Amino acid sequence: MQQGKGPRSGRNHRTVAPVTSAAPEAPGGGPVLNRRSMMKALGLGAAGIAVPGLVAGCSSSSGGATRIVFEETKPEVVPYFNNLVAKFNASQSKVVVTHDFTSSLIAEFVRGNPPAIDCDNYNLTTSIFVARGVLADLADLPQAKTIDPNIQALVTQYASFQGETSVLPYSVAAEGVIYNRDLFDKVGVSAVPTTWTEFLAVCEKFKSKGIVPIYQTYGDTWTTQQGLFDYTAGGMVDVAAFYQGLAREATNLGPNSSVSFEKDFTAPCKQMLSLAPYFNENPIAKHYADGNLAFANGQAGMYMQGPWAVGQVLAISPKLKLGTFALPATDDASQTKCRVNLDLAIWLPRSQPASQHTAAIQFLDYLMQPSVMNAYNQANLAFSPLKNAPPQKSPLVSGLQPYVSSGRFYQGPGTYVPLTIPIGNFIQEMMLTGNVSGFTSSMDGAFKRLAIRTSA
Amino acid sequence: MTATALPSQRAADRSRPSVLGAVKKIFFPVSPTYLFMIIPAIALFSFFIIYPAVVGMFYSFTNYVGYGTWHFVGLANYKAAFSDPTIRDSYGFTLLFAVVACIVTNVVAMALAIALNAKIKWRAGFRTVYFMPLVISGLVISYIFTFIFSNSVPIIAAAIHFAPLETSILANQHTAWLGIVFVASWVAIPGALIIFLAGLVSIPTEVYEAASIDGASAWKQFQRMTFPLLFPFFVINTILTFKNFLSVYDITVGLTNGGPGTATTSVSMTIFSGFFNGDYAYQMANAVVFFLITLLFAIFQLGVIRRQGGLL
Repeated sequence: MQQGKGPRSGRNHRTVAPVTSAAPEAPGGGPVLNRRSMMKALGLGAAGIAVPGLVAGCSSSSGGATRIVFEETKPEVVPYFNNLVAKFNASQSKVVVTHDFTSSLIAEFVRGNPPAIDCDNYNLTTSIFVARGVLADLADLPQAKTIDPNIQALVTQYASFQGETSVLPYSVAAEGVIYNRDLFDKVGVSAVPTTWTEFLAVCEKFKSKGIVPIYQTYGDTWTTQQGLFDYTAGGMVDVAAFYQGLAREATNLGPNSSVSFEKDFTAPCKQMLSLAPYFNENPIAKHYADGNLAFANGQAGMYMQGPWAVGQVLAISPKLKLGTFALPATDDASQTKCRVNLDLAIWLPRSQPASQHTAAIQFLDYLMQPSVMNAYNQANLAFSPLKNAPPQKSPLVSGLQPYVSSGRFYQGPGTYVPLTIPIGNFIQEMMLTGNVSGFTSSMDGAFKRLAIRTSA
Repeated sequence: MTATALPSQRAADRSRPSVLGAVKKIFFPVSPTYLFMIIPAIALFSFFIIYPAVVGMFYSFTNYVGYGTWHFVGLANYKAAFSDPTIRDSYGFTLLFAVVACIVTNVVAMALAIALNAKIKWRAGFRTVYFMPLVISGLVISYIFTFIFSNSVPIIAAAIHFAPLETSILANQHTAWLGIVFVASWVAIPGALIIFLAGLVSIPTEVYEAASIDGASAWKQFQRMTFPLLFPFFVINTILTFKNFLSVYDITVGLTNGGPGTATTSVSMTIFSGFFNGDYAYQMANAVVFFLITLLFAIFQLGVIRRQGGLL
């Protein structure tokens, strides 16, 4: 099974803004309309009803068994879930699950035809389903109590809806600095660095031996954002609290607010820029694929990428001995945290026929058995969100296990930013010009405008 | 009644007025054949283009994300869009890019068309080669050129000690747009070339024979004959390429993803960024503004065409 995620899924991780839970009632007190009533008002009701009508027949009861659609679109694990679906269908006769791995969720919600159950990456886009209240409350399921509360909290860091449990984590991906074990031995580093000073010392050792310490690819905007930026800033800032503060300040964001990018991100950005002497030459002309190739060929000691890159690198050099450590962004080793994201999470739509809902829960019972869930995560370089889950054994990512187990993790600061604010491009500009205040003022200005228009 | 029977039928109606003819005239002032051809086109165009556009404009005054509930926010999306530097800069880049790429494409395409219209060896072969870029996907082309600009060109430039190209031009905020102009023009030239070639074929060879007997030089022939006779085609090409360049998307995404920084972010890219993450209504407001600007250009260009004597 291929582990690579590729640039597209990397970009998917950049998501999210602190979506304040928008209740279905209009905050401004204006008239609440929905798509259907508006279309009727326009005299186009027929068109509006006809479109959902065409696709509603996808899942129906036939021959005594309830047919439901299960959606899972992470390309690398489609065969894995195909296999699980087949096993489930063979194990009982009441529910027949079809695996949809190609559809677009937003389009399905627009048509009013979401799948009966979904297991996909949880990010800002998915969190808007939560914020808008279109997902079912799963708090009463026994499985909801089996999830590590630290990991369940990752869901509400992006969005929540009236205190409900809308999404259940299924798989946690953790990211850190990938390092080449053979090169570490070669330059005489015996243990991974645990403080920022030690980290700089490792970089110096590589540099003095004429090996590039860290490979960087600014050519793609997402690589610098999810690696260098998220690791440094995430390791120094309490990310969830910062974005909660931003949402609280909303339109008051400015020089006098309790949090701002200027106040909280200037130091991390300067620290990030101080690493520039340890990068390869001309990183702006290098892209994700160049980075994978160079790192696979042993041209650099460290690479700030996630487990998806591990798969790509090993596809080029299968014999490479790799490991991952969390970037120590401060000199207090106990403060070190690693970046995580909910690579897969399960949810059900709020409005669907009771028979569909029941069948979907039956499939959820199957998917969320500890044996099934832990086996999936073990096999896919990920971490199980279950309490007391067995540790990830693969040496490729096992270095991050202590952080995941003890809740010392954060979701990347870049992933809280909506796509309309091109933070990746802003970071790229900062890396090229060294202008930190330009970056922080761009971000503060963009978030202030976002607050002004969303509060209207 | 069939289409071919129409003219004779009409003639009959005129000479021999009948009740049936009068009824037909009242209920079908336009021939049913025309209606039969035009109604499906209007229906499809309305349903797939006009209806979504009107719905999009409507939602630009709301906080809609594409599903769920929403309410009106008035002009808030428009105000925010006008004060967003990322969006403002994208208009600046897109207009500059569209004007320059339009000039480059038309000048080069016209020169190539004249060259390919001359009596040269392998003329059909050359025409095929020059047509190639049109059939390759823009995204594929831009990924190939990213590699060429970032890897191949710097190696060659270093070998011949040509400093300006030793680092990728896409990596510099001030030169990246030139790379995009180059690739976008490279893609657009074949389309313009074909129209110019068609124009050149329509010019009778006798006028050139007469001109060369009178002793006109090649440049004079181009200046006084080829260019004026090609001008209508030049106008069409300018309109088509300019409109296409204004909506540039795949080339910028593939080459720079809007970078370095936000130097090459096109308007289409900013609009598209709103389709996820709940900024649908905000970027619809941006799209409406962009539509109005494009409309102004279209009206201006139609005015130019009218002055050219009702070309279209």
